[in-house]
Formats: sequence, structure tokens, C-alpha cells
Amino acid sequence: MRALVRAAWHIALKDIAIEWRTKTAFASGLVFAVLVLAVLFFSRDPTAVSSQDIAPGALWVTFTFAAMLGLNRAFLLEREMRALDGILLTPVPKAAIFWGKFGANLVFVGTIEAISLPLFVLFYDVPIWIQLGELVLVIAMATIAFVAVGTLLSAMAVRTRYAELMLPLLLLPFLVPPLVGGVQLTARLLEGRPLSDLGGWLRLIGAFDVAFVTLAALLFPVVLDE
Amino acid sequence: MPPSADVVLSAAGIARRFAYRPVLTDVALTLRRGEVLLLVGPNGAGKTTLLRVLSGLLHPSAGHVNRPGAIGMVAHEAMLYPALTARENLRFFARLHGVDGRARVDELLEQVGLASRADDRVGTFSRGMLQRVAIARALLHEPALLLFDEPLSGLDATASRTLVELLQTFRERGTAMIIVSHEMERLGRVATHMARLAAGRLGPVESLAGRNAAAVFADLMRGDL
Repeated sequence: MRALVRAAWHIALKDIAIEWRTKTAFASGLVFAVLVLAVLFFSRDPTAVSSQDIAPGALWVTFTFAAMLGLNRAFLLEREMRALDGILLTPVPKAAIFWGKFGANLVFVGTIEAISLPLFVLFYDVPIWIQLGELVLVIAMATIAFVAVGTLLSAMAVRTRYAELMLPLLLLPFLVPPLVGGVQLTARLLEGRPLSDLGGWLRLIGAFDVAFVTLAALLFPVVLDE
Repeated sequence: MPPSADVVLSAAGIARRFAYRPVLTDVALTLRRGEVLLLVGPNGAGKTTLLRVLSGLLHPSAGHVNRPGAIGMVAHEAMLYPALTARENLRFFARLHGVDGRARVDELLEQVGLASRADDRVGTFSRGMLQRVAIARALLHEPALLLFDEPLSGLDATASRTLVELLQTFRERGTAMIIVSHEMERLGRVATHMARLAAGRLGPVESLAGRNAAAVFADLMRGDL
């Protein structure tokens, strides 16, 4: 168990170091996030629809597609010189690769979300500060679900010829439940409703967290087998 | 062949299919410490697939591979991260091998002649330099067996000579190797055995002891042996 945790830690640190140095996924993710927030804001008719009405949807569309850029890259960097084969030749358990990638992806997506959130407030003028802790909890829970399944599917997609195209096709159907939950909870929190009223949606996202993380961790070693 | 403490690899009945297309059929192979097998054969014969099966990267569809010791592999691709430096790449893989990295990495960089470029990103390296970092990566855990897939491909004369000298050093240390290559002239000096793989079937493994490697190669390529 200690060996698994240590190997996962080294793999995550390596991914973060590469992203820190190249900033390719981070830069594209961030530019994309700003663009989506701005486009959705300016596309509405302000006399008919208030910015608060479209804010939850805009927030989650931004997070989802910005995250997808990072998830795609997680395994593309392993394909470039077949570095993943180098890892597979070490005695590291395949599960460690999943947890390492999952951890690095969470850091990447979390960073994009942390930077996008103030921009979201700036554009949409929504009172997130009243229930900031609750909103962060909801974002974290939905993020865990889609990063887990995204990590698994990006390992699958990278083996195909059109990896960048395949990941969204494979991933989007799985994102529907946590995303719907995220949008519903965000909308209610922005209306000022307390988290204690939202137990049903929270339990739903929690269940998807457990199911997606467990399934992804179990299936990942199979996906790596040729 | 009787089991021996010197055996670093034994494979029996190896078969591999890709979507029902057989690529390897009933391959059997035993390699001992200090033996260097030069594996030749036409393109598409299954040589790379065989190396991947022997290394454990690919599961055989049938048969069994026994690897009593550690294996290192140098393939077409360097299995490195272009955005990391040579030192960072080696330290990363050393950690995954559970090797105390710092001193070992410095020693290997010195050994492959890249100590002065240790802190440069491998994405800026020539093919020959990448190959040398890949060899250092494969040696991190002091494997008993090294697998090479076309190690001289794309290298200029100087880089090839340096690599052949390295391979000779490994042989003298007793490291067993399987080298897939058609560079008979240069690698014939390193090899102790030669075999031909054709249409997924491995022919007899010929010892080169006291024999002219070029003649054995010519015979193998004619399929006369």
C-alpha cells in the first residue's frame, strides 16, 4: 500500500511538474474558460434573462470543457515518446498510475476552477460569498466524479487515432449525472437556500463520486493492458 | 533445456494474436547470463511484438514467459518525457524502480556520456542522445536482461560506435541481451547467438562461438540452417 501511494505521488508530481513547465493545457484551459464565460454572458438578452438565471449553467459548461482540455493532455504526454511503456516496465502497480493521474488531474482542474470562479463572479455578479464554503464543496464533489471517469476514459481514448475527438464523445454521457447535480445545487445555493435543504442532490453527487472513483480505479488496469 | 541459476529468461509456447491475426506462433527461447542474442528477420516478422511480450508490456495469447530477474528495454521510442531534463527523467524512473536515485543517475549519465547535458530537456536531444538516455533509463535498476529494438536505427556513425562500445561493456559485465537489428556488421561483434524470426516463428538459436557471424547471418537470411 505504501509503495502504491509513493508511486502515485511521484507520478502526480511528474505530471504537475511537466504542466508547470509547459503550461500548455493550463493556458488553453484558462483562455477557454474566459471565452466561454464572456460569450455566454454577452449572448443573452439582458432585458429578458438576468445574468443570475444563466450563471449556474455557464459555470458548469465552463468547468466541464476547460477540464476536458486538461484530461485529454493527461495521457497525450505519455504517448509522445511512449513514456507510459517506461512506467509499465517498472514494478509499479497499474493502480498507482491511475491514482497519480487522478491526483494530478484534480490539481489541474481545481486550479482552473479556482481561477475561473472570481471571473464568474465578475461577469455574472452573483453573490457566491454568502455560501462560498458550500459552493466549493459542491464544485469539489462534482469535479471528483468527472475527473475520475475522465482519467479512465482518457487512458482509453489516447490509444485511438483521434484521441482529442474520442475523449469528449466517450466522456460526455458519463458527465450528465454529476453535471446536472452540480447545476441544480449551484442554482439553489445562489438563490440563498441552505445546504441542509439540498440533501437529495448532494447524496446523488456523492453516490456518483463513490461509483465513478471505484469503477475507474478497478477498470484502469484493464484499460492499460494491450 | 534444464533450469539453471544462470537463466535470465525462459519462454515456451508463446503465441500472440491481434484481432485473430497470428503474429507469433509457438515461440520458445531461453537466455542465460552473459548471452547476447541477435534477432533478425524480415519486416513484419513479429520481432517487436516478441520483445514486447518478453518484456511484459504485452500479454501473450498463449504460452508462458518466466523472468527471474529484472528486465530493461530500449525500444524505437525513448520512453521519456520531452519536457523534463535527462536527470529529471532518470530520477523519476529511478523512484518508480525503488532505486536510490541521485548517485545512480549521476553514475549512469556519466557512463552514457551525457553528464554535461544532464540538465537539458530531452526534447532538445538528437536521436543518438535520446537513445543514450533511454539506455540509462533501462539500466537504472541493474537488470539481468536488456532488450533492444533496432538500437542503431537513425544513429550516425559516431553515435553507433559509442552505442556498440556500450553494448560490449554490458556483455563483459555478464548482462544478457536480446537485440533486434539488421546491423550485422556492427552488432555481430557483440552477439554470442543469432536467430531468425520469420512469419512469427523463431528458428533455431545459433551459437556464434568460433563461427563467422556474417556467414551465419547470411545462412539465416536464406533460411538454410
